[in-house]
Amino acid sequence: MLKVIACFKWVIDEADIKVDKGSRRLILERAGYKISAYDRNAIEEAARLQERHGGSVAAVTVAPASAKQCLKDALSRGPDRAYFVNDPSFVDLEPSQTASLLAAAIKSRIAFDLIICGEGSSDLYAQQVGPALAEKLGIPCATYANRLTYVESESRVIADRKLDDGIETVSMPLPALVTVLPDTNTPRIPTLKQVLGAAKKPVQNITLPDLGQTYAPSLQTLATLATTMDRRRLKFGPDPEGIRSIVGWLLKEGVFA
Amino acid sequence: MNFQLSEEHQLIRASVREFCQKYVEPVADEIDQQARFPQDIVNRLAQQDWLGIPYPEAYGGAGSDYLSYTIVVEELSRACATTGFTLECHTSLACYPLFKFGTEEQKNKYLLPLCKGEILGSFALTESGAGTDVGAALTTAVLDGDQYILQGSKMFISNAPVAGVLIIFAMTDKAKGAKGLSAFIVPGDAPGLTIGKHLNKMGIRGSLTAEVLLKDCRIPKENLLGQEGQGFRIAMMTLDGGRIGIAAQALGIAQAALDESVRYSKERVQFGKPISSFQAIQWMIADMATAVEASRFLTYHAAWCYDQGLPYSKEAAMAKLFASETAVYQTNRAVQIHGGIGYIKGHKVERLYRDAKITEIYEGTSEVMRMVISGNVLR
Repeated sequence: MLKVIACFKWVIDEADIKVDKGSRRLILERAGYKISAYDRNAIEEAARLQERHGGSVAAVTVAPASAKQCLKDALSRGPDRAYFVNDPSFVDLEPSQTASLLAAAIKSRIAFDLIICGEGSSDLYAQQVGPALAEKLGIPCATYANRLTYVESESRVIADRKLDDGIETVSMPLPALVTVLPDTNTPRIPTLKQVLGAAKKPVQNITLPDLGQTYAPSLQTLATLATTMDRRRLKFGPDPEGIRSIVGWLLKEGVFA
Repeated sequence: MNFQLSEEHQLIRASVREFCQKYVEPVADEIDQQARFPQDIVNRLAQQDWLGIPYPEAYGGAGSDYLSYTIVVEELSRACATTGFTLECHTSLACYPLFKFGTEEQKNKYLLPLCKGEILGSFALTESGAGTDVGAALTTAVLDGDQYILQGSKMFISNAPVAGVLIIFAMTDKAKGAKGLSAFIVPGDAPGLTIGKHLNKMGIRGSLTAEVLLKDCRIPKENLLGQEGQGFRIAMMTLDGGRIGIAAQALGIAQAALDESVRYSKERVQFGKPISSFQAIQWMIADMATAVEASRFLTYHAAWCYDQGLPYSKEAAMAKLFASETAVYQTNRAVQIHGGIGYIKGHKVERLYRDAKITEIYEGTSEVMRMVISGNVLR
């Protein structure tokens, strides 16, 4: 029976982010959290594979302990159990650290045939955790997938990879990892019974000491400022005078020095 | 004391918001302008397990609580008051009396398909001469062998044209006035039951409201709900719970008026500044936000009382009174903030302004709410 892991990240809901006009700083105090958009496609794809082929789906996340609420959200979307790799210090995780923690948790505790991740997270969109996790587990990886087929008789997955210049179809023996794009599927809206049923599904709590891992924060966010667009309405010609004028303005505006 | 919603309640809210964004908001204006009943959306409500939220799974419900139901009505109404009310009428007015007063057979036969969303329910109490004065009802029910024969007509009956089952109130003993009223379970296809045409309303235009005509309408005598003469009590208890639902609908409408006003006042520029920078607008927004929040606390508190098994009649009346008057007043403010554009068909605040008014009228007028509240306070 196919054993699938769907990885997800709990991120700030960008719709709730407000900007302080004067300082351009982001006001996050009242912002809610949600499952990162593409990770919902990953969970949905895992749930659909299970509906089609049977087997099991485990949802796995690495998060600060305060993110506990993410578990019921994920479980209401189809997985039959969840693994909560958590520590209060997991706030500003760097993608390679997230991948290491996921790899350690999966290797030691979660049997799998297929791992599905979102192509990138809604906040950082570094697109690194999926491929790095595959590397650490020593399994093949297909990124940019928007169609996934499980060939049960051959124990393989076939993924359509949506690239800039066309679709590449790859076939990988299991175990393997796939990162999915948003057009892979339309995630379901959990029904009320699915929401209520989430509390009854098992959750395994995995702490940093449980993994025997060491972890030192290496990513430090100094400030996040909102971008602004300010039209100066300046016109320049293609002649040397115009170019000198552009350069002069850009210097004056501090775009470069 | 804990003012935070549980994780489940928060997830329920998020799922309804997502549902509304995808299926309700895009068609809410069309539902209003064409006075179209949103059957497609109602089918989806059933798929989401939202048509029997507070009733046990054994009767086809979701086995959740009244607060969950309140949140669903609020969020649906925030997108489309017609949709919110259709669910409210079904859940509070049709399912509740069956759940509370029905026999096991009646529940299995009627409550189960209602909660599963296989059929919609309706509640027929009002008559042209008997609104608040329920005891003035002229519809009669006479026992003839093993059948009751219903005669008369009911007015302003929501969901009637699409109802698979109606809870209809009729006099079994006219001499006793309100105490002679009884409740009956009438299948939508009962012989002698005719549904009049969809009334052309000011607001909640997609909700189907019609006259119900009963001419020698024969139903089996086991379709009496509760006891003969218990109708007034059944109606009043049903409306007590329904008021929490209407408070939630009004809350959703008022919240939508606030949402639209905040968005528009930040975008609309006059005298070189967004109008949100003017104190006249800021004060309206402040009052609006405060009233919406107060409505929410009153409404959730009434639902919480219901869920805790505490008395909730006064709390439900307070929530409905305050939330409905807030909806009417604040949608008016919202149109004012929008100015001319808010008076144009197709703009959401114009619809909200019309949708809000009914919340002060149905399931007990504001005047009746004040009677209920003062009756409790002065007791």
